Amino acid sequence: METTIKTKKTRYMNPYIGGVLLGLVLLAANFISGRGLGASGAIKSVVVATTQTVAPKYAEKTKYFKEYHEEHSGSPLKNWLVFQMLGVIVGGFASGALAGRLKFKVEHSPKITSRRRLIFALLGGIFFGVGSQLGRGCTSGSALSGMAVISFGGIITMMAIFGGAYILAWFFRRNWI
Amino acid sequence: MGPLAVNDIISPNTNFFLAFVIGIGFGFVLEQCGFSSSRKLAGLFYGYDMVVLKVFFTGGVTAMLGLLFFSLFGWVDLNLVYVNPTFLTSAVVGGLVMGAGFIMGGFCPGTSFCGAAIGKIDAMIFIVGLFIGVYFFAFGYPMFETLYKSGSMGSPKISTMLDLSDGVFALILVVIALGMFYASEWVEKKFPREEY
Amino acid sequence: MKSLHYLSLVLLILALIIALVPQNTTRPYKLTAEQLLTEIRTGTQFISPDEVVDKIIQKDPSIQLIDVRNPREFDMFNLPGAINIPLQDILSEKNFDLLNQGTKMNIFYSNGSTEANEAWLLTRQLGYQNNYVLQGGLNYWTETILNPDRPGTVFSNDEIAKYNFRKAASMAMGAGDAAAVVPNSSGTITPKPGLVPVKKKKKASGGC
Repeated sequence: METTIKTKKTRYMNPYIGGVLLGLVLLAANFISGRGLGASGAIKSVVVATTQTVAPKYAEKTKYFKEYHEEHSGSPLKNWLVFQMLGVIVGGFASGALAGRLKFKVEHSPKITSRRRLIFALLGGIFFGVGSQLGRGCTSGSALSGMAVISFGGIITMMAIFGGAYILAWFFRRNWI
Repeated sequence: MGPLAVNDIISPNTNFFLAFVIGIGFGFVLEQCGFSSSRKLAGLFYGYDMVVLKVFFTGGVTAMLGLLFFSLFGWVDLNLVYVNPTFLTSAVVGGLVMGAGFIMGGFCPGTSFCGAAIGKIDAMIFIVGLFIGVYFFAFGYPMFETLYKSGSMGSPKISTMLDLSDGVFALILVVIALGMFYASEWVEKKFPREEY
Repeated sequence: MKSLHYLSLVLLILALIIALVPQNTTRPYKLTAEQLLTEIRTGTQFISPDEVVDKIIQKDPSIQLIDVRNPREFDMFNLPGAINIPLQDILSEKNFDLLNQGTKMNIFYSNGSTEANEAWLLTRQLGYQNNYVLQGGLNYWTETILNPDRPGTVFSNDEIAKYNFRKAASMAMGAGDAAAVVPNSSGTITPKPGLVPVKKKKKASGGC
């Protein structure tokens, strides 16, 4: 039993080595482009782009899209974060392929059904989507990248994210443990 | 010298290409650390797997020290590096909402893309949720706008606010992070753990 | 656990070093000494009082006069529309956006032209564009614009035209808003190179 757990443990990279590598990637982003990493910004770009294509009149009238347009020039898809997120998908896939983790599945605690897991995943996504807009960035864009540049806002957002999750952890414990 | 793109040392298109390369590195590291698994991520909040905290803080601290050293050597002009603007109220409320999303969904946006890349269906559904959330915010923007713009403080650095040099603050943060790492090693021993 | 010990050791050493060394606040110079010398020798930074007064009277929105003397002197006398950035504040963070931009012509002036020229030298060395110096400073300004000498009869038409222009300008400056009296097509003005478009020093735009 002991040995099986040990061999299983090696499936993932040592977290500290992984952390240093993550830090180097973030450092490269800052050195090359003068900015940190991000994920929700790419989603925002896609949302703006689709709205501009599907309902251009609506996008022109609505304040949110107008403000985006004022802050960003050019096509919303020609955005640093969009390219970066495409890379994330490729990188994640490559890593999963190397480690033999490519498999379609719904991962959940044995105590809950897949259905319940998916409903909560959807709800969680919605909350995270709204929150990332209010927080001007998600865990990567605001918290992680903010920490690298010692941004006050980034560290506040980070504490709020983890704090919020810890406060609510008790209510959702059945989903996870 | 740096940031290369801001100082026009590389062209915008090269910058986009490098964004893609950086993204590959980002996704690869996240997946290698196990961030493609929601159960592993959620472990942070129940003490059975603290990998998120370890990777996250090691990464943040490494990049921070790296930037400070680069600045020391004159390789990067920190004035030209983007510092997130602070809208205090918006950041706190947004963070709490994201926290709720995290504990329900088990992912954050970056990790959900990683999970989706290796076939996790829950991660794909989470991404669908993200889009709905952002659309909801966009269409309900008039409702959120006051909150979104409240508590504006510019783009302050914590070190400036505490009247410390960046270096001293970095040292403090490193000590805090290392303290948390040793604590989490202890916590992981205390709670039963299984691999996902 | 072993990896954590190594990590702690490395991070602590690095953090101690970074905490102990003074922060690097120097900004890299963008121009080499030779480039700067060439610019100084050609004197492209100077703008004649005639040209400046013309722009002031035209209420040209593309110029920004910057008084680099101390605030006391600024309060006693300043040119219309000027703002005060004392020389010692020229490198301060809050003036960065004002001095490094591509929308206006900044014209530095001081009593003579020394201080203004020093301000220009510093900003130019940092690579900022669109900053100029009022030739001769306020002293020459009073001499030529406020109290122009009447040229003798032996002077050329050109000189006389210049005099007339200055006389009118002087009245305009005195009377405040008498743009109409100034002949604006005075041939004495050598056009300066226009604005150099400076790409807005965009810190890369927002995260999410």
